[in-house]
Amino acid sequence: MDTLSQFDLINLFAVIVFGATGVYLLLPHSHGRANPALAHRIGYGLSSLAVVALLLFCRTTGVELVTKAFFYLFAFAAVGCAILTITSRDPIHSALWFAAVVLATSGLFLLTGAQFLAAGTVIVYAGAIIVTFLFVIMLAQKEGQAVYDRMARAPFLATLSSFLLLFGLVYSLLGIRSVPTQSSGGAGLSAPIYDRPVLSTIERLKNGKNQLTKNQILVLNRALPGLSELPEATGRKADGTHVAGLGATLYTEHLLTVELVGALLFAALIGAIAIAAPRPPIRPSTGNVSVAEAAPAGSRTS
Amino acid sequence: MPNAFSIEMLTNYLLVGAALMALGMLGFLARRNLIVMFLSAEMMLQGVALTLVGFGRFHGNWTGQVFTIVILTVAACEASIALALILVLFNRKSSLDVSLWQEIREPGQPTIVEPDSAAEPEMAVAGPETYPHLLTAGVEPPHPTEAWAKRRD
Repeated sequence: MDTLSQFDLINLFAVIVFGATGVYLLLPHSHGRANPALAHRIGYGLSSLAVVALLLFCRTTGVELVTKAFFYLFAFAAVGCAILTITSRDPIHSALWFAAVVLATSGLFLLTGAQFLAAGTVIVYAGAIIVTFLFVIMLAQKEGQAVYDRMARAPFLATLSSFLLLFGLVYSLLGIRSVPTQSSGGAGLSAPIYDRPVLSTIERLKNGKNQLTKNQILVLNRALPGLSELPEATGRKADGTHVAGLGATLYTEHLLTVELVGALLFAALIGAIAIAAPRPPIRPSTGNVSVAEAAPAGSRTS
Repeated sequence: MPNAFSIEMLTNYLLVGAALMALGMLGFLARRNLIVMFLSAEMMLQGVALTLVGFGRFHGNWTGQVFTIVILTVAACEASIALALILVLFNRKSSLDVSLWQEIREPGQPTIVEPDSAAEPEMAVAGPETYPHLLTAGVEPPHPTEAWAKRRD
């Protein structure tokens, strides 16, 4: 792997050290004799410094100004709200900050041109967060904050391992980016792997060793329509709407995936009902296992 | 028309996704509230979804978005089962603390008990506790009001 530039190394060091220290100070645990309010203020400062340092890695050359501004806005919101999600004492605040993370992520989806996913994420997670709210209101402690919300589990080791993971990920990502790219078009096999063109099945067959006859190409064109290509990539004009293209890909090339996902949803539905259904606890010591079965089914009114 | 989504833009998305992933893992490891752990797991899924959408846009195909739809579905399944589990665990011990369930780990693992002194002191909300002023409906029953009006002084 190529070595990173001086700036990247220093910036990476800043992200990891500031981020780990800031998040460690923000996590709920006893700060010894230090003033907790002061520790939190220092933690907020250090973690926002770390988020800004992370955003300094982002390069947006050749991107429109509006896109650039919105990218930085959404990225800052996503990472900042993620830090607040995991450090809030109150689970309700955690759920609210997580909603902000989801909104920022949807904004990033929109910037990549994934409109359907942006809308779908907001809709699905809005429901999930409302249900989480209900659970917090139903289950949370009546007064004040619970002890377990004010005490993290091994905060130092957890912070260390997570930021080591972040260090590894960012280091390898920057190493890939710092490889000088060859000419963008017509990159052969000698180019780095991300610079090779992604070929569809039919293109791979066409470029193979055996020359295809005209009839074979005709059959292949009918059998394997190049549906999975984004209209922006191929240069042709988008036919129909965005959702139509996504749906066409989803229900032709990934039909089996749809079926599998449906089966998974069904299994999860059965599992959730089986787990959460109210019933007397089974205690092998007392031997009253058969209480639920012994009662006739009609007598179990809820 | 050249692909406007360059390798640099892809790296930006991967960086944000990596940060979300690491922070979600930190929350899952460090927090003890079951609901916050659940939210952290969802946050890790968000990071991966961001990565997949970025890759799909970079390679110019729909596969990343299709797989993100799969992730959304898996997240929904996970949410239903996790909330059912949280409900059952809360019914057993009347607490959302995950440390109460250490006995279901592998046998032979030591039980980690942290003293309550490791907890942060509870932050008091500044100012007296206030309630909304409601219009009276009927005769107000006699009850002491000073007790809760001064509770947080």
